[in-house]
Amino acid sequence: MGQVSALLDINQQTLRRWDDEGGKLKSHRSSTTSHRYYYIEDIEDFLSQNFKYLLDISNRWAFNSDTFEIPPRLYCSDRAIFKARLSKLEAAFIRENPSDDSYSLITSIVGEIGNNSFDHNLGKWPDLPGIVFGYSLSEKKIVLADRGQGILATLSRVREELKEDKQAIRVAFTEIVSGRAPENRGNGLKYVRKIAEDNANIKIFFQSGQATVNIRSKTEHLNIGQVDSSIRGCFAIIEY
Amino acid sequence: MHLYLKKFGKTLTSREDGREAFAAIQPSLGDDKGSDKMELNFEGVNTFTPSWGDEFLTPFLKKYGDRLILLNIKNPSVIATIKMLEKIHTISFNKK
Repeated sequence: MGQVSALLDINQQTLRRWDDEGGKLKSHRSSTTSHRYYYIEDIEDFLSQNFKYLLDISNRWAFNSDTFEIPPRLYCSDRAIFKARLSKLEAAFIRENPSDDSYSLITSIVGEIGNNSFDHNLGKWPDLPGIVFGYSLSEKKIVLADRGQGILATLSRVREELKEDKQAIRVAFTEIVSGRAPENRGNGLKYVRKIAEDNANIKIFFQSGQATVNIRSKTEHLNIGQVDSSIRGCFAIIEY
Repeated sequence: MHLYLKKFGKTLTSREDGREAFAAIQPSLGDDKGSDKMELNFEGVNTFTPSWGDEFLTPFLKKYGDRLILLNIKNPSVIATIKMLEKIHTISFNKK
């Protein structure tokens, strides 16, 4: 129970109450007086049904310099795992509503954000490779995070004049990078922005360094802000 | 030549996979006589992205120019991706 309490950042009293009430998260124990144990699958199911806690654990993984073990279903250590889980998300969308293909816009922007992390950090991950990718189908929210180098470090290699996170995030979401530039890539986030701007049901939050951007439909100017808590890599929340 | 993109999968998202797909199909394209049409059919593709598309469609466009024709542009992510590639490269694909 102590491990689960630390992992989810929920106090043990709350976990006991949830267990005794047969609610949010059930433990496994041989008798009412023996220790409470949790299966990792139950914790993963709990997170997929409670985005608030999923977001919190993803946040701690992405923003802390320390490493801690994250439930395996959330962690994509390489691109092949991410690809498989993205296909699984797509299959879940199709199962939910077989006649509606608008899900493809969601899976395509998730694909662009997730693959961006792998493309831009290949061989350059500062500590942990890979990304966290989790979602709650019932709450229609998705989180993606990496502990890579972030937008400023990546873009300043081809755009030396960039010195601040806010400048870099603006370039990433607004400027078309020519195919003749040293890096033949860098247009994925422009696509992400376009999809969110053109579809009223899609909202995106993105952070890299101290810079944040919120994208909503029909907004003519990017809403770029600055926050105190810095992330070295990238952090994205998609609502749809 | 008529090629179905679903042969490469229904979820076409990463640059790496797009590059591999183009490398895999290249040997079967043969010598271009300068008059052959190349039709790329998107039927059955569930998810498509600019990253995959840029690695696959852009080289096809360079090779075939106006003789490249895109078919079954119906899926929302296919439509949005093609528009984005046209904007990035200031080009226009022939579509049916």
